Amino acid sequence: MASTATTATAAPTIEQRPQPGVRPVRGTRRPVTARPDGPGALAIEIESLTKQYGSVRAVDALSLNVRQGEIYGFLGPNGAGKTTTLRMLLGLIEPTSGHMSLLGSAPGSPETLAKIGSMIETPAFYPFLSGHDNLRLLADYTGVNRSRIGAVLAQVDLGSRANDPFRTYSLGMKQRLGVAAALLKDPPLLMLDEPTNGLDPAGMADMRQLIRRLGSDGRTVLLSSHLMTEVEQVCDRVGVIAKGRIVAEGTVDDLRGDEALLVRVEGLATARAARAALAFVPGVNGVDVAVDTLRITGHRDSALDAAEVNKRLVEAGIAVHELRTDRRSLEDIFLTLTGGGVRHGD
Amino acid sequence: MATDFLGLLKAELFLLRKRTSTWSILSIWLVVTTIFAYGFPYISYRSGSSQFAESFDSMLPGALVQTMLEGMPFYGGSLVLILGVLSIGSEFGWGMWKTLLTQRPGRSAVFGAKMTALGIVLVPFVALAFVAGAMASVTIALLEDAAITWPGGQSLVEALMAGWLILAVWASLGVILAMATRGTALAIGVGIIWGLAFEGIVSAFISGIGALDWLVDVLLRANGYSLVRAISGNGPMSADGPGAFSGPYVSGVQAVITLGAYLALFLAGSWLLLKRRDVA
Repeated sequence: MASTATTATAAPTIEQRPQPGVRPVRGTRRPVTARPDGPGALAIEIESLTKQYGSVRAVDALSLNVRQGEIYGFLGPNGAGKTTTLRMLLGLIEPTSGHMSLLGSAPGSPETLAKIGSMIETPAFYPFLSGHDNLRLLADYTGVNRSRIGAVLAQVDLGSRANDPFRTYSLGMKQRLGVAAALLKDPPLLMLDEPTNGLDPAGMADMRQLIRRLGSDGRTVLLSSHLMTEVEQVCDRVGVIAKGRIVAEGTVDDLRGDEALLVRVEGLATARAARAALAFVPGVNGVDVAVDTLRITGHRDSALDAAEVNKRLVEAGIAVHELRTDRRSLEDIFLTLTGGGVRHGD
Repeated sequence: MATDFLGLLKAELFLLRKRTSTWSILSIWLVVTTIFAYGFPYISYRSGSSQFAESFDSMLPGALVQTMLEGMPFYGGSLVLILGVLSIGSEFGWGMWKTLLTQRPGRSAVFGAKMTALGIVLVPFVALAFVAGAMASVTIALLEDAAITWPGGQSLVEALMAGWLILAVWASLGVILAMATRGTALAIGVGIIWGLAFEGIVSAFISGIGALDWLVDVLLRANGYSLVRAISGNGPMSADGPGAFSGPYVSGVQAVITLGAYLALFLAGSWLLLKRRDVA
């Protein structure tokens, strides 16, 4: 199924479905022409994808686009539908309805699978075979020259244990062998499902560095994760999934929104007076008042000047009890979007 | 395309070669078939038991075809059923389907390669059983100063083919049970009970019901033994001892057709299950 010119309008954005406490995502829905190899081409197109298990809708009219060459974070809590979506993209699960296209081909077809390296959940290999022999088997499966095995094992730093049985590997080594298997075909598209699961902090850092490196080689990486820090560190763009639907999409900066200043003054009346005093301060875009606190947001293209704000308030005779910068962490955004609770002012 | 399939087949043969279970089942099969076909009967014969005294000739090389084939529809079938179950069911247990089916080949090609590899592995199962039987029978002939005569070449080839068909049907029964139950334990349990007990019980029960007589003729056991009997020259079969079968028999042609139909049915059913099901 060839890709056609498509605008990325199918996935719901924050503008379309406002969430409390979250600013609209900007710059994520720009039209993208889906030329198979050209700039801006789409590696993955998903439109209205749905998977129903009896009365449970695991994936609900999900739409998203992943551009070629980007590292796309697929962020969502456990059970949100991430793995089900990946399994549908790989042809392991038949969708109930919807449309998918990977690198211009239908999911699950041999032509498509030849171009995708994947690791879904915990990597599965034959426990009685060594890491090397497991990759040898997969190389024969995919028609890849066995000479690549050494290279991919070295890439994930598993060369020294390559001849040990898989069952003797630690969880981290199993994860790395999973990545090695995904790289065996030298695929232009990688799908990694929670690749740092069970790794110690050093292992997680190594894995993220590896993914970043793979992404910088021009590969497209779809990284599924429930770890905000991981997505924040590694991904160019993020799609947040909750209850089977994309609830927000954009760069990490887009999702976090603009930086703001928090000013605490003496009571609501003073806060209202302070808002009036700040009405014409250059760079100030909006002032929200909640009890004794003002939240001041600036224009996107100019930084807020805390000193200027403080000066104006003092000139207006308003005592400033506290003044600090405030920017929502991705975790706040994530919890807000996925219904996991909201924490303000962190 | 053919090169791709050869790569797949190579991978599957490599896997079966590396699996301990393949070698364990082969070893058990060779030991069991030699002991049941030659060991116990000879010990019994030497100890003066009347049970095997009349069947001394069946322990000599001239009776190799019938003696070796008689074990195949019984314990041979049960053992390769386990091989069939493990070849598919273990993939569920280890979560390997998601790894294998996200490489490049489609599900049909993967299944085809797995079944072809399993079919190839059954060849040494049959051939080595005959080699073991030949060695045992020659040993007995030498010990008893009996003449050593061998079955004809054509008879041996037919026996090897018949043995392969019988074992292939049982292995494919294991495959479909594993595919249906998505595992190994239940599949082996159901398969063994079916092979060792259920068919016998069904046969005994419905043989008294005229309208259901035809059912006996389509049971795996009846057709396996009927093929053995036809290949062995329609002579008398062992009516006692482990796995003994006393009929009713169908013709050799009917047995081949029925067993071939079972093989096709089990494989097609397994393929459909793999093709249509989600891999969760």
